[in-house]
Amino acid sequence: MIQKPHEDHIYIEALLKNDSRVLSKIYEKFSHKIVSYVRNNNGNSDDAQDIIQETLVTIYHQAKEKNFVLTCPFDAYFYLLCKRRWLNELKKRGNKRVTILDDTTSITEEQEQQVEETEIFEKQSQLFESKFKELGAKCQELLKTTFKIKSMEKVAEILGVTYGYARKKKSQCMGKLTQLVKNSNEFHQLKAY
Amino acid sequence: MSEDNYITFDKYLNNELSDLELTSFKEQLKSDIDFKQEFEIYKALEASLSSKFENEEEEKALKTTLSKLGSKYLKPENTIKKKGKLISLFSNKQFMVAASIALLIGFFIFNNGEPVYSDFSSHNSLELVVRSDNSETIIKAQEAFNSKNYEVALEQLTVLSETNKNDAEIELYKGICFLELNNYVEADQIFDAISSGKSTFVHTASWYKALSMLKQEQFEACKYVLQTIPESADEYKQAKKLLKKL
Repeated sequence: MIQKPHEDHIYIEALLKNDSRVLSKIYEKFSHKIVSYVRNNNGNSDDAQDIIQETLVTIYHQAKEKNFVLTCPFDAYFYLLCKRRWLNELKKRGNKRVTILDDTTSITEEQEQQVEETEIFEKQSQLFESKFKELGAKCQELLKTTFKIKSMEKVAEILGVTYGYARKKKSQCMGKLTQLVKNSNEFHQLKAY
Repeated sequence: MSEDNYITFDKYLNNELSDLELTSFKEQLKSDIDFKQEFEIYKALEASLSSKFENEEEEKALKTTLSKLGSKYLKPENTIKKKGKLISLFSNKQFMVAASIALLIGFFIFNNGEPVYSDFSSHNSLELVVRSDNSETIIKAQEAFNSKNYEVALEQLTVLSETNKNDAEIELYKGICFLELNNYVEADQIFDAISSGKSTFVHTASWYKALSMLKQEQFEACKYVLQTIPESADEYKQAKKLLKKL
């Protein structure tokens, strides 16, 4: 499906290009209300900075891996993502006396959909990463090298094994990882979407 | 599921299946739900992990940029907070000693009359690494600047400014080098240009213009420039402190 990018897609491109000039606009224009939101809800500006950074890094990965195209204004999309991330963080901290001041930001269906897309992307990446860490050290090392260095010939050379062995091992390790993901609870929750 | 299936997945993703193998692979995808599900996971894992590991360096660079921007735009109260904490670390006795030393130093400065440039000239370190181009020049410039080797830093920054025309940050640091090397005309020119521009370094440039005036012992001009720095600027506290002493 070809999607028409919103003009705010420049912010997504800036993340991909690490363009500090354009990125500074995100901080200048959109971040202060996130800081206020976090501070009004049991957080401080350090928390807000973390939330903003984590959100931006997630969007970066989504753009990198999935060619994410922003089709709605960045402002509302970004604000909602940060807000929900902060609410999750509060839940994690087990904050009992949370008084959530909800503001009435009107949001379109399309924006909601883009926010969800990003959140599902992140949940999936986190699941994959945590299962990856459950693999044995040998498998982790082999896969990491494989994905960093694209050529399997070189990988074999670096690890001091034959090409055939490296290929076979790679599929084995990926197979194991596939099993771990498939049998996890989180995967079944994600599948519901 | 048998190990052979994963080898088939890997071959398929590498476009290595023969026509015959490809036909039977596609058949199985249609008829075998379990096979299909595992293939979907395998494919998603491959895409996710390879993107993650491939871009590790890039991600790190992005994070550096973001932390820098975050502290610049979001934490004006940070410095105050940190100072508060520092004092509470002292025990009472130590605090008294520290306070009396501070008082003595204060006396010393006041008794000596005019404040001097070196009391105020601690520069933020130069951090341009996050940029993608000219990395070797950037690293050299940074190392030189941060180790106070202003001549070398100036050379490298001049090279950089040729390819990055109108980059206020590079210009600003060039100005600081000129100031450190006592080339006041060049320094003032740069600070004036930036402070009348629209970059995020407007007030920083004013602050440096004031420092340049201070170093040249033009105290009235220094006062004048300091008064143009608004309360919202990062440099406001320092400016107020210096104004008091003038």
